[in-house]
Amino acid sequence: MNPMRMKFLPVLALLAGLSSSATAGFAQEKPSPFESVQAILAENCLSCHGAAQMSGLDLRQRESFLKGGSRGPALVPGKAEDSLLFQVAAHIGELQMPPESPRLPREKLDLIRQWIDAGAVWEDSSSDADPAGEEPDWWSFRKPRRPSLPPVDGKEWQGNPIDAFVLAKLREKSLPAAPPADKRTLIRRAYFDLIGLPPTPEQVDRFLEDDSPRAFQSVVNELLDSPHYGERWGRHWLDVVRYADSAGFETDAFFPHAWRYRDYVIKSFNEDKPFDRFLQEQIAADELWPNNLDLEGSYAIPVEKLRALEARVGTGLYGLVPQTGESKMDASRELNEILTDWVDTTASAFMGLTLGCARCHDHKFDPLSQKDYYRFQAIFAGSDTMEIPVVTKLSMFHRSESYSGFLTLAELRWTHRLLEKKVSRRVFEARKAEFPAEVVQAFEIPDDDRTLEQEKLAAPLAEALKKLGDPNGLTLLDLEKHLTPQEKVQRKELVEKLGHAVLKVPTTEASHQTHYDALFDIPKAVVMGHRQAELVPAIHVLDRGDLGKNLEKVEPGLPRILANGMDLEQPSSELAVPRSRAKLALWLSRPDHPLTARVLANRLWQWHFGSGIVSTPNDFGRMGAEPSHPELLDWLATELVRRGWSLKSMHRLVMASEAYRRSSQYFDPAAAQADPNNLYLWRMNRRRLEAEALWDALHAASGTLNRKLGGRSFCPTPEEGDLSGKNWIRVYADPEEQNRRAVYILVQRNFGFPMFETFDTPDPAVSCSVREVTTVPPQALFFLNDKMVFSQAQAFADRLVREVGDDPSGWIRQAWRVALGREPTAREQEEAGTLLESLTDSEVKAGKPDSLAGKGQARTRALTQLCLAVFNLSEFSYVD
Amino acid sequence: MPMDHSCCNRQMTVRSRREFLTTSGFGFGGLALGYLLNREQALGSVGASAPVNPLASRAPHFPAKGKSVICLYMKGGPSQMDSFDPKPLLSRLDGQPIPPSFVTKDLDLQFVKVEDMKLLGSRRTFRKYGQSGLEISDLFSRVGQHADDLAVIRSCYHDSFIHGPAMSVMLTGSVRLGHPSVGAWVVYGLGSETENLPAYVAMSEGAGVSTKAVYGAGFLPAAYQGTFMRTEGNPLRNLTPPIDPGNQRKILDQVGRWNQRHLDQQRQDDSRLAARLTNYELAFRMQTAAPELIDISSEPEHVRQMYGLNSDNTAKFGRMCLLARRMVERGVRFIQLYKSGWDGHTENDQLHVGSAAKIDQPIAGLISDLKQRGLLDSTLLVWTGEFGRTPINQGKMGRDHNPYGFTTWMAGGGIRGGKAIGATDELGFRAVEDRVHVHDLHATILSLLGLDHEKLTYFFEGRNRRLTDVGGQNDLSGKLVAG
Repeated sequence: MNPMRMKFLPVLALLAGLSSSATAGFAQEKPSPFESVQAILAENCLSCHGAAQMSGLDLRQRESFLKGGSRGPALVPGKAEDSLLFQVAAHIGELQMPPESPRLPREKLDLIRQWIDAGAVWEDSSSDADPAGEEPDWWSFRKPRRPSLPPVDGKEWQGNPIDAFVLAKLREKSLPAAPPADKRTLIRRAYFDLIGLPPTPEQVDRFLEDDSPRAFQSVVNELLDSPHYGERWGRHWLDVVRYADSAGFETDAFFPHAWRYRDYVIKSFNEDKPFDRFLQEQIAADELWPNNLDLEGSYAIPVEKLRALEARVGTGLYGLVPQTGESKMDASRELNEILTDWVDTTASAFMGLTLGCARCHDHKFDPLSQKDYYRFQAIFAGSDTMEIPVVTKLSMFHRSESYSGFLTLAELRWTHRLLEKKVSRRVFEARKAEFPAEVVQAFEIPDDDRTLEQEKLAAPLAEALKKLGDPNGLTLLDLEKHLTPQEKVQRKELVEKLGHAVLKVPTTEASHQTHYDALFDIPKAVVMGHRQAELVPAIHVLDRGDLGKNLEKVEPGLPRILANGMDLEQPSSELAVPRSRAKLALWLSRPDHPLTARVLANRLWQWHFGSGIVSTPNDFGRMGAEPSHPELLDWLATELVRRGWSLKSMHRLVMASEAYRRSSQYFDPAAAQADPNNLYLWRMNRRRLEAEALWDALHAASGTLNRKLGGRSFCPTPEEGDLSGKNWIRVYADPEEQNRRAVYILVQRNFGFPMFETFDTPDPAVSCSVREVTTVPPQALFFLNDKMVFSQAQAFADRLVREVGDDPSGWIRQAWRVALGREPTAREQEEAGTLLESLTDSEVKAGKPDSLAGKGQARTRALTQLCLAVFNLSEFSYVD
Repeated sequence: MPMDHSCCNRQMTVRSRREFLTTSGFGFGGLALGYLLNREQALGSVGASAPVNPLASRAPHFPAKGKSVICLYMKGGPSQMDSFDPKPLLSRLDGQPIPPSFVTKDLDLQFVKVEDMKLLGSRRTFRKYGQSGLEISDLFSRVGQHADDLAVIRSCYHDSFIHGPAMSVMLTGSVRLGHPSVGAWVVYGLGSETENLPAYVAMSEGAGVSTKAVYGAGFLPAAYQGTFMRTEGNPLRNLTPPIDPGNQRKILDQVGRWNQRHLDQQRQDDSRLAARLTNYELAFRMQTAAPELIDISSEPEHVRQMYGLNSDNTAKFGRMCLLARRMVERGVRFIQLYKSGWDGHTENDQLHVGSAAKIDQPIAGLISDLKQRGLLDSTLLVWTGEFGRTPINQGKMGRDHNPYGFTTWMAGGGIRGGKAIGATDELGFRAVEDRVHVHDLHATILSLLGLDHEKLTYFFEGRNRRLTDVGGQNDLSGKLVAG
């Protein structure tokens, strides 16, 4: 490899903008003919025939040179005179380049001629060359540049900047723009969008009555201030980071502390934590804010320590890694799998890149080398997850207050156990003594070592002892029966003391645990930390990704094409742990990073509109979709940074746009045919509520929703048949807990909660950027027959009677208002009334027709069924 | 009364008994979906087309024997040289380096470099079966009894050597998500023969399927997607109404009317809402039909034995096969069964022996049973996986993924069996004779059902889409049905 090449490439892009005299200053050694020609091209040609590919011509690669543009090949190797490049540069013929410029000086033309005549040798740039200075040729790898607003209909745009881009595109595509949605539609849309819950009838009424131009804005502001906002938008993020409460695979080990990361996400969204900070915390809080988190036995915890602790919980993202937990798997393979998950998740979530493809070979479609991949892996090699105690004032207080109580309890239980052991030993020995010595002898030989004969000999004794209890574990089936009178007194006292001790320890929030267990239940979180220096594994490029086939060793590093000259410092000594996650986080959160802000702006758009400007939010590479509105995306990305990475500020901006407030209805068949997927946003997208929003909407309508924020995950009661062969993690909770919001439902990797499976929640094994929306009969069966839905219908009916009194038409009106956010039409009112009567008649016939009470019950049952009908309306499940 | 409607570029016959309006008096979803399918007409003038149920049974493009499909999908990629593609030379060269003449640049494998590796001969013994003398290994000695019904296509290929994309290409024709699965296309083309069960059912043993896309509808209307069914216990959740069935019917009728009105109010082009309407009617009937379907207590002992239900090893897959037959009898159009256990990166032979033992008897039983009931001619069986495996040893007696040459076999659906089509090279590495791309396989499947893969189109994002994209020229159906 030519040593010159290394120095030359990084300055290539610079040269393009400099005068020729400056070139001389850099070139201290004589460049090769190829390098000289490259410099000339960079200076004169690449601005049009580089990434811009004007006339289809790209002069950056030999292949594209030879392929040429619309005028044919640019080169005939060996024949300068016949080569278009030379002809246009030398102004031979009509076509002259660069356009409207004097001809290139003779020396330069000579250099080009010599190079072509010598065969146009293209000096191979090895994959190890640092392309940092080159302008990457893929849009998403270049820094977003803030575009100016396009004029609309020839005029400068005055309204919301988003609309300038959307309208300009609609005009370009000759698509109409849908009229604005009506106010009822709009408020329901905003509620589900921002907090994932329906507006109450009162909230709808208030909005309808508010004629001020700022009415919608106030609704948006109220919603952004609601703590339910974080539950809704945090859930979006949890999809992206493959959140789960268990490890997956066969063993599916429980992650008892995962929920702390979930709560951290919700809190961060609620606090409108700037996204750059949010990113930094999750990737590298421990390296960026390495505060000492020890409790130090003090009661008052300094604020900055709490903040550092919270940030540290953010690194719990990496604790959610799927793990086989199988001993069969050797340690290096398990580590390799973990590192792979960390790299893939980081790249997908923050960079919108499918870096995983480069694990086995250079990326086939994106300019990412295999070495890039393993350098990225090396960033995480020095890290490991660990459990740390989580400090809260309350738990500190409870813990210290109750410690003696827990100790007493533990001691009493142990004393009781000693008694049990003593008695059982005595009982078993006495029974043994009743048998002949050779039988006892045979019995004393461990099971596996007995001969068949000894086995036979020992059998009656084993059988006899089994009737008493477990001779190995020293427990008796009926302890009380074997006690001496004195022991009976002793035991009675012990049990009494135990009872008192239990009463003295506080009820923990962990209702699934016994009080005694709480002694060991120190609140903990799983976070990132560092390995001992001696244990940091060396990372090698693996031949075809095959573990054990080590190629060269690599140090932590950023993908070259994106690094833009920046790289990570290498550890100064062999035994230093590289703390390169901090560098990675700082690099990713740079305001001019080509991907971070774009990827986030796109996600934000997708979560508001149902589909992103780039419809593949986790793949901004070549295999991903190209943006439908590239300028809008860049504008949003730069705006996001300008607004200090504040998501709430962006929500206000987006929701104030006309694009967001358009009707979703089918008003123009021609437009529906021209752009059936609404790629250009001529209307709003209608959306089926996600599984979580459906769960929440059902509970909100029935009035049963428990709005408690945060805490441990809960398991909805499984139905028979759900559990066959499944390893269901039981987290017992009181009935109130069962009515909490869906974001708190346990996410078990190898067993999807059936309702959620039916309604398309993602597989939490990998980052999910877009949920599928299926429409299948089991969804209809769910709404018709599911026990949970039916119990919510019962609660809904109770609520209607409670709120409206004995007034069937009032029930109907209120049911519509609560569940659908609107008044029933006169026709619906009448139809619902007829249905209610008809249902009541059937129930009366089925019950006891004579009794008045019977009739009342029949009507209640009928009302429940009417409520069930309302839950089955398309309107209930869809947001216009 | 038959009625003709122009739909998906051809004449579509709607049998009156399948018209929801006249038969059941409560189905409205069909209205909307028919409207969508007839978009051009519908957009043109009012009343140009009568309402049509999207799942209405439709006549094929041309007469064909095949009416339904059972796809036996071997997840992981079964080895051709250990099952249906004997390679004596490979056995002779066992343990030797691969001859350089077989190594070419385009052989890109997931984990290994071809030129570094040694050949791995099959540990299986092959023998000739039936009158045709078709060679099949001892992994499938029972399926071998039906050799004269099998058409073994030994020259399948595509170019994706990773499970996910390869499975996607096998079952949807594309490595990218968002494309309809074969079953969705078939139901789109032929409609359903059952009003009580989904037209398209997927069932799995073991790990299941990681993505729904492989039985999804992609860009086709959602009504065409497959429904995943459990094979034991309740086939689907929520089959028992919590209220009086008569009242449930009343609710369904009124909800149907309300939802239809909701759809008609400027939401006509939303296929999800329309599919939702038809799903309610289907769901209603499934409440009785689905439990009846999986209740196999009425199946006599000899039938159970045929499917291997009495042995632990074969009971699971046997049950799936038996359920597939019961679905065919009940008019389910497309049934997809997944069986994993073929990804033999290490100890390939051992894995194959174990997995084949679980399915050999059930598949043989399925063929016998269909035959005895006169259903084999109208039921197309397709046995395939996402790729085959390499002739080279990947470390510990393993075989890597091989999309360059692998085997699919078909039976029934009018096929005259006892034949092998195409060939891989002498090591079984790549298809060399009569090469059959996935698109060709798909064209063949459609053709055996009377569907022309070039005419079965759906307009999406600017062009008429096909299952076979621009391929499918090597339609084998002629060869397969020839005597």
